Amino acid sequence: MVTPAPQRPSDDGPEGPLEEARAWGIVSYLLAGLLTFGGLGLLLDHWLGTSWLVLVGLLAGAALAFYLIWFRYGTR
Amino acid sequence: MSPTVLAAQGEGFTPPGKEDFWWPILGSDTSPWTLTRPSVMALLSVALIAWFLLAATRRRAMVPGRLQFVGEGVYGFVRESIARDLIGSREFLKFMPLLFTQFMLIAVNNLFGIIPFVQYPTMSRFGFPVALAAITYITFHAVGFARKGFVGYFKDLVPPGLPSWIVPFIFVLEFVDKFITRPLTLSLRLFANMFAGHLLLLVFILGAEHLLLTGGPGLKVAGVLSGVLAIVMTFFEALVEILQAYIFTLLTALYIGGALAEEH
Repeated sequence: MVTPAPQRPSDDGPEGPLEEARAWGIVSYLLAGLLTFGGLGLLLDHWLGTSWLVLVGLLAGAALAFYLIWFRYGTR
Repeated sequence: MSPTVLAAQGEGFTPPGKEDFWWPILGSDTSPWTLTRPSVMALLSVALIAWFLLAATRRRAMVPGRLQFVGEGVYGFVRESIARDLIGSREFLKFMPLLFTQFMLIAVNNLFGIIPFVQYPTMSRFGFPVALAAITYITFHAVGFARKGFVGYFKDLVPPGLPSWIVPFIFVLEFVDKFITRPLTLSLRLFANMFAGHLLLLVFILGAEHLLLTGGPGLKVAGVLSGVLAIVMTFFEALVEILQAYIFTLLTALYIGGALAEEH
């Protein structure tokens, strides 16, 4: 007798609409990271009279967004 | 110098630009209100969709006729491949009216971009995608607040299991993502795709016309090529237009599903 395959929850599949939708949603995370922390860097630059904090902010924002995307979608 | 001035000076070809998207039917840019071509088309699309759905469901049969087959096909696609997968089979049904309406409305209005004599994608006027994105925005936040409570919804923004020092940063990121960039990307993606697509078609079609009518023999060949490309790009646009309707609906369902899901 063949045992039925364990029912897999639909959001675990390697492909399908969920993965596709997430891929489209990732843009939003990246943009959020760049805008928020890049913007923060720009403000700090403005206040402190420096010019390199905006770059730090952009890089940190992008890194944070990548980390979150990996944590949310890559680890489970 | 504006293109119209250039044209008046006999400089020749007027490249298409954002002026080609401003089509007042009643009133002008100085009057307090205007009825524009895209707003008439949006109304027309509602009438068309209503007619189509009524006709497709009037004589329901076990063996569907052609209209019923198409109608059920589109509905089944939105229901099974978008709503059920992304919201979950327990709760997706009550969001079907929204998702199906969004898909139909966006698909028909986008396809207006390549339908002869209409040939204008409604969504290339930014106000229309903004209104649609606002509906999505309000819906998924309302659903999330109703499900988890005000504090619970904000708590649930951060996925569990993160190192504690990074939580505040991730909270900011999630907050900006859900409250600012999601509606921004949702509306901009649809608008920009339709705007750029329409502009591209205008370049090839107007270019072909101009080259064929005024060019020498060599330029006439280029005009024919431009015309051929216009036809190719029209088919390409059909694909983009349906795809954008699909993506918009897909993301609406994803956001609703995300607002409903418990993180822990």
